[in-house]
Amino acid sequence: MGENKSDVLQGTLDLMVLKTLESMGPLHGYGIARRIEQVSDDTLSLNQGTIYPALLRLQQRGWIKSEWGTSENNRRAKYYSLSRIGKKQIDKETESWERVAATIARFLASSR
Amino acid sequence: MDWLRTLLSRCKAFLIRNKLDQELEEEFRSHLEFATEENRRRGMPEDDARQAAMRAFGGMTQIQERYRLRRGLPLLDTIAQDVRFAARQIRRAPGFAAVAIITLALGIGANTAVFTLTHALLLRTLPVRDPGELVRLAIDVSATETDGRNAPLNLPIIEAIEKRSRSFHGIFAWCVYDFPFKDGTVNSGIHGAIVSGNAFESLGVRPAAGRLLTPADDQPGGGPDGLAAVISHRIWVERYHADPSVIGRHITVTDHGATIVGVAPAGFEGVIVAEHPDIYLPIEFQAVLYGQPTKHDGGRLWLETFARLNPSVSRAQAAAEMNTLFPSILDATVPPALRHLPVIEKARFEVKPARTGWSKLRAQYTEPLLLLQIMVAAVLLICCANLSGLFLARASARRQEFAIREALGAGRLRLMAQLFVECLMLALPGALLGVWLAWMAGPWILHMLGNAEAEQAISMRPNLAVLSVTVACAVLCALLFGMAPAWTASHTSVDAALRNSHPRASTGGSGLRNFFVPFQVALSLTLVVVASLLGTTIARLLTEDSGYRTDNVVFILTDFLRVPEKGEALVALYHRMAARMEEFPGVDEASVAAQPPLMGGRWTDDFVAAENAQYARPAEAMENIIAAQYFSTLGISILSGRDLQNNDSDRNSCILSRAAARLYFPGVSALGKTLRNVIHHRDTGVATFHDYQIVGIAQDTKYDSLRESPPPIVYLPITSGEGWMTNAGATLFFIIHARSTAAANLAYLATLHEMAPSSPEIPPIEFSQSFRDSVARERLLSVMSGFFALLGLLLSCIGIYGLVAWNVARRTSEIGLRMALGATRMRVFALVMRQVIGLLAIGVLTGGIAAFFAARAIRGYLFEIRPGDPVIFALSALLLSFVGLLAATLPAHRAISIDPTQALKTE
Repeated sequence: MGENKSDVLQGTLDLMVLKTLESMGPLHGYGIARRIEQVSDDTLSLNQGTIYPALLRLQQRGWIKSEWGTSENNRRAKYYSLSRIGKKQIDKETESWERVAATIARFLASSR
Repeated sequence: MDWLRTLLSRCKAFLIRNKLDQELEEEFRSHLEFATEENRRRGMPEDDARQAAMRAFGGMTQIQERYRLRRGLPLLDTIAQDVRFAARQIRRAPGFAAVAIITLALGIGANTAVFTLTHALLLRTLPVRDPGELVRLAIDVSATETDGRNAPLNLPIIEAIEKRSRSFHGIFAWCVYDFPFKDGTVNSGIHGAIVSGNAFESLGVRPAAGRLLTPADDQPGGGPDGLAAVISHRIWVERYHADPSVIGRHITVTDHGATIVGVAPAGFEGVIVAEHPDIYLPIEFQAVLYGQPTKHDGGRLWLETFARLNPSVSRAQAAAEMNTLFPSILDATVPPALRHLPVIEKARFEVKPARTGWSKLRAQYTEPLLLLQIMVAAVLLICCANLSGLFLARASARRQEFAIREALGAGRLRLMAQLFVECLMLALPGALLGVWLAWMAGPWILHMLGNAEAEQAISMRPNLAVLSVTVACAVLCALLFGMAPAWTASHTSVDAALRNSHPRASTGGSGLRNFFVPFQVALSLTLVVVASLLGTTIARLLTEDSGYRTDNVVFILTDFLRVPEKGEALVALYHRMAARMEEFPGVDEASVAAQPPLMGGRWTDDFVAAENAQYARPAEAMENIIAAQYFSTLGISILSGRDLQNNDSDRNSCILSRAAARLYFPGVSALGKTLRNVIHHRDTGVATFHDYQIVGIAQDTKYDSLRESPPPIVYLPITSGEGWMTNAGATLFFIIHARSTAAANLAYLATLHEMAPSSPEIPPIEFSQSFRDSVARERLLSVMSGFFALLGLLLSCIGIYGLVAWNVARRTSEIGLRMALGATRMRVFALVMRQVIGLLAIGVLTGGIAAFFAARAIRGYLFEIRPGDPVIFALSALLLSFVGLLAATLPAHRAISIDPTQALKTE
């Protein structure tokens, strides 16, 4: 594991997955993992496999759903998409994350 | 909501986990293929592309494991795994499993059986509103501090309490009755109760159909529906098929028309335990049957009375209040003729909790049931010790298995949990089988109560409370007998066990095993001693000379409340009827008495020799009121003088038992002397008296119980007109000695129909039966304790056998070596037995001490045997040692037939 890459917080990964699905539409696990890596410019120490427990967690809450499909190059894969609850949840999650980020930012600013 | 959705999803995933596992694998595979393809497109060679893809993915197995932990129900998975594993273990050793299950079934079955009875008789909370508020009001008339006899109340007393006491509300009365019952073509007897109008209201029960009785029903002339009747849920279902149209139906109860107004709720069996009324009528029915005076008779105690405590009044406060009110309540309600009888003077008022209702059986059976409960608990402990021993032996045979599993990463807790599951899988079928055994044994145990009504009314069907106790029992057992092996197993040193390839060479747990045998032996010895003492007691009681003839003698209660004859005419009727019965073929003698012997009834009175009345203090004697022929009917010889005669000249005559003669006239002949019955009026200090001429001295007999030596008894004639005879003489007993019970019954029925046709037929009681039933409690105790002792003995034998067999197996090579080096068979035998003898000795010694204390604890139940009887102790110890040694001999014999060359070769 890369020393200078940061570990991903649990809730963070969830939100990343939700956001990815929101912008990209239905996507399989590999696609989601790649997208997150690309967006974060490979600064996250994301073992691609860790995406799957996160996907399971979101599925169990009913925020995303999955079904088997075929990729453009004719490979069978499981596609994940946002559910109705998930769509609603994104705003809530985003808001709470922004609140945390803002708080942290204030701390960082004040200690400077 | 999220957690709920997650849980549901987990449950679903748990059910289809195999399919999901496949899908996950496929998903991972497709992930890797996507990644490989992309890498390849970037120009990596095939092998590198795949490697890089796998690197980027991370640890596949860890991810899978994390995924699974999150997906299904991992705890259930583990348990399911353990169960499957345990099932395999059990299948591999079916004999072991069978022994374990049967052992447990016996132990748990015994516990369940006794607990079912305890629960039914003592513990079941009444299905009513706020049962904790209920109290039973009664009059304590015990002769001694401990005998706990109490009497019910009557309406005048209840009304006085309602008026004066501030402690209670919802006071209601209850009296169990058997009625002749007619409904259309159905004509049968029915078990019923007459209850106060407010009884159901006070209990707070709701009808299953129609309505329950109300105070409006309990009025002279009946209520809105005439004579209202409520039927039990049981007969509603059994007889009327739960038909709601039963409401309003006309029935006939003891020749009186009544209307069914409602059905009591299911499961409601009244407040008297072991009696289940199938019909409830208002107390007014007493007046309908026997006239208003009997309903309000202050001289008769016949109504079981219950009440609710007022809020913020404690039971002690209520009792204190009642104690101050009681004398004045007695003054106001008891007829002057009875007010100053010693029994009334000594009576105290009692307020007892009635959360579980009340039963007259309780006074008799509470302690014996507790005693049996302790004994079955001991049996269960022996079972557990046995199984613990067996499991330890197996655990040591499985040491390698445990070591390998531990080496592969199983935690100690995991190992222990797995063993526990294994134990539980033996304990639960054992418990199930035990419940079945208890159910089967139920009727047999009930029969030993010696109470026909209770036998019918008590359900031995295991209910929820009993089953939960049984299951708790099984879990506790599994913990108990699984603990030791689990502990040793989890403390196996991995490398030592693996290096030591010979499973038999291990010694783990042998220290513990050595503890179990003395423990079992000690418990069994205690059980055997207790059972022997109780067995001796019942044998002595049954062969005890009571002084009575019991064969072919019947007692028949009379119910002459409705015959027109009263007072002297009634007494004459009794005389005539007894004489008429004697005319029938096969009837030898017939007589009348107020108290049939050995039925537990007890009348006492104070007497003094008239000639000494100036200075001697009156002394108490038992009393009975009889007609002529009483002595010849019961085979009691008249030692001197003559029998009483059924005529007026004997109105003031009496007969004394020899003990009574000796008590009142020591050293002189009592015949012809005068005996004075002294009645003290404690409040006024005045004593009145009544003199009787002694015309005969009868042989001594027991009176109300086989246990006591013959007390002094004074026999007075029914012609003496004792105004205080029960119900003014309307309920006495005919005593008939005939060729057979049938002949006696025939004579009675014919005479009854001829001379007192208005009186109900009452089934006769065979003296030989009531004689045996008078020791029903001792019989129950001795039979059950004997059975438990036998069980304990058997289990201990299995335990000893198991220990020795295991030791021999463990030491096969050692013994082979010894024999190869020249040890004789005798020496080998001695070697094996020495250990057993040591353990037996410790067990017998500690068991002897335990038995000594146990025997002292039950001394109250013993009869003509001292709790420390040396013969019983010696015989029990001998029996146990003998059986123990016998159990050890079998495997020891195997030790001496070990072939040294064979034994050493296997090393």
